Amino acid sequence: MKKRLVSAFLCTVLISAMAAGCGNKNTSEQASNNGEENSGGEVTISYACWDSNQAKLLETVADEFEKENPNIKIDIQVNGWDDYWTGLEAAATGGSLPDTFWMHSNNIYYYGSNDQLLDLTDYIEKSDSVDLADYPEGLGQIYNIDGKQYAVPKDYDTIALWYNKTLFDEAKLSYPDETWTWDTLKDAAKKLTKDDGSQYGFCAGLHNQEGYYNFVYQNGGKIITDDKKSGYDDEKTVQGIEEYFSFVKDGLSPEIYDDQARAEAMQNGLCAMGLFGSWNLSGFAETEFMTKNFDCAVLPSANDGTRSTIFNGLGNAISATTEHPDEAWKWVEYLSSKEGQERQAELGTAISAYNGTADKFAEAYPMFNTKCYIDMVDYAQIRPYSNQTSVWEDKAYEILKGAYAGKEDTKAACEKTAKMMNEALGAE
Amino acid sequence: MRRDYRRIFGKEWNTVKKVSKKTRNEWYWGWFMVAPTILGLIVLNIIPIFQTLYLSFFKSGAFGKGNIFVGLDNYKRMLSDGQVWHAVKNTIEYTCMVVPVTIVIALLMAVALNGKLKGKGIYRTIYFVPMVAAPAAVTMVWKWLYNSQYGLINHVLNKLGMDSVNWIDDPRVALISISIIGIWSTIGYSMVLLLAGLQEIPRDYYEASDIDGASKVKQFFSITVPLVSPTLFFVLVTSIITAMQVFDVIYMMIDVTSPSYDSTVSLVYLFYNNSFKYSDKGYGSAIVMLLLMIIMVITVIQTKLQKKWVNYM
Repeated sequence: MKKRLVSAFLCTVLISAMAAGCGNKNTSEQASNNGEENSGGEVTISYACWDSNQAKLLETVADEFEKENPNIKIDIQVNGWDDYWTGLEAAATGGSLPDTFWMHSNNIYYYGSNDQLLDLTDYIEKSDSVDLADYPEGLGQIYNIDGKQYAVPKDYDTIALWYNKTLFDEAKLSYPDETWTWDTLKDAAKKLTKDDGSQYGFCAGLHNQEGYYNFVYQNGGKIITDDKKSGYDDEKTVQGIEEYFSFVKDGLSPEIYDDQARAEAMQNGLCAMGLFGSWNLSGFAETEFMTKNFDCAVLPSANDGTRSTIFNGLGNAISATTEHPDEAWKWVEYLSSKEGQERQAELGTAISAYNGTADKFAEAYPMFNTKCYIDMVDYAQIRPYSNQTSVWEDKAYEILKGAYAGKEDTKAACEKTAKMMNEALGAE
Repeated sequence: MRRDYRRIFGKEWNTVKKVSKKTRNEWYWGWFMVAPTILGLIVLNIIPIFQTLYLSFFKSGAFGKGNIFVGLDNYKRMLSDGQVWHAVKNTIEYTCMVVPVTIVIALLMAVALNGKLKGKGIYRTIYFVPMVAAPAAVTMVWKWLYNSQYGLINHVLNKLGMDSVNWIDDPRVALISISIIGIWSTIGYSMVLLLAGLQEIPRDYYEASDIDGASKVKQFFSITVPLVSPTLFFVLVTSIITAMQVFDVIYMMIDVTSPSYDSTVSLVYLFYNNSFKYSDKGYGSAIVMLLLMIIMVITVIQTKLQKKWVNYM
């Protein structure tokens, strides 16, 4: 009896430990991918990113780079957004980050201030082809911590309004343009919604960057204030969120919580309009249904004419622990040079950050009004971020979703979010 | 089978004082043979348990550096965190839904497959396949079946004239949807174990009861169930432990943005989110320690209760 008890106890302990042990797996896998050296004195530089559409195009850029630099091989590794950051953190903890990888405004401070990234200031100074003055100022600044530059801007993105031309033609409505306001949007959404639930006018999924953030800033509200406090309890912020959520409450939009489901709702013809970032273009251009039926336009303004769109830019960063910093820099330098940036724009990877190369991106997608993304930069608002953005950003979803579904008062939920966010900001 | 082990143990226990050289030599060999496994367990499981316990008293710094000792703060925070108690409730509810159903179905199927049935090899394989398939892949398939707009299940329901069910995003339904996947994927494993247990039962009992005129149902409850109870006990204990640690299905199916998150989040999922999403490994460790405590209590109770119903032949 006693023996069985002991063995059952041990059994419990062992199996429970599996939960604790699983964190280590990523690290060892990443480690084995890292620092591989081929026999002929070749150096492999790993390059991690989270967008599989872009990765395909970057493969071409990497091939061209390898041709010019025969001793360097580029190994592109793709992981979905969530897994990317989980894996990257595990890799960083284990000291085995990929040599080069994408950085985001959400996470730059966390990685930069904890010595995980190579300080690129000197490299940039010595370089002939990279000068931060060639990029929009706000973008380079995102990746600068206390005067040290930890990443070079790769691209930028804005959000535009996508609409299904066929459904607009059926309803005999004119297409969205720069004269549209919140009211026009709502009217059109009402006319495009069918009572039997087979078609909705608008796709207002629960999403910040491709969703309510745009409405908040159009309304003059703020997600985070200049002195790093939450803006969720600002009346104008609440109004913006209320306006966005109202599409669901009025039955003009389905309730969508899943990121992928938003694009599906458009591609299935369920929704006639929706907000999507410029990084979706390569994916959209591949679907025949989208190229045939869809186009994009600048975001509608608030009723008082205020315009805004959420603007963000990624950066290319190098790991502080890389074994080949010079080769890694060569790759990042190429990606950031005028030539590399133009090439990426031509291929349609993303809107290149290098001043003057963005128009090439518009040419890569002639089937859509791609230029509207670039036009919006003039009044674009940088995606709100703090030192540890991801902590409060996802928790905000957890709190707001009740209000989104109409089960809770939006104002009360926003105040709760503000409280949570201020606590998180205070702990940073 | 069990009985034999006990005898061996008992014998050796009694003769511990006068061990012959030969027996001792056998012991050494025994230890040598199990050493790789034990070493693996120590490195991969036992040490991490103590590390997790240790970490649960800290506020973890970035990238595993600069941890600050906070004593019992993580535990205090846990006690006042509504989400943790949601998770405890969800985990227990999930276990209560999955384990009994799995065991009943698995036992009935094992009995059916233990009899004379044509092509039982094929059936055994079919039932065991879900166990072999990767849970993440399985969940992706189920997610499509459950899809509220284009899913096969709702399509069939509509054809039968019933309303669509929002399998994933409806907080009242989501945990049931997850349990169905849990049941579907563990039945095969429990069944194979029970089948092995059934084959230990001597046929004489059935023959004798046949002569006495016992019905099949009577045979099942009076012979099969009591005699398979040691295996049943093992299956029960391990199923409960596995069910309490449910993670991958929920992780793949329910995102934090989903309205059914609060009514489905399990303790391991909450641990994962806190440790890896919100980079708060200390708090995550405290949550896992809570899970360990709960599983331990349940397992101890089960081992205490087993003498009431488990028959070792």
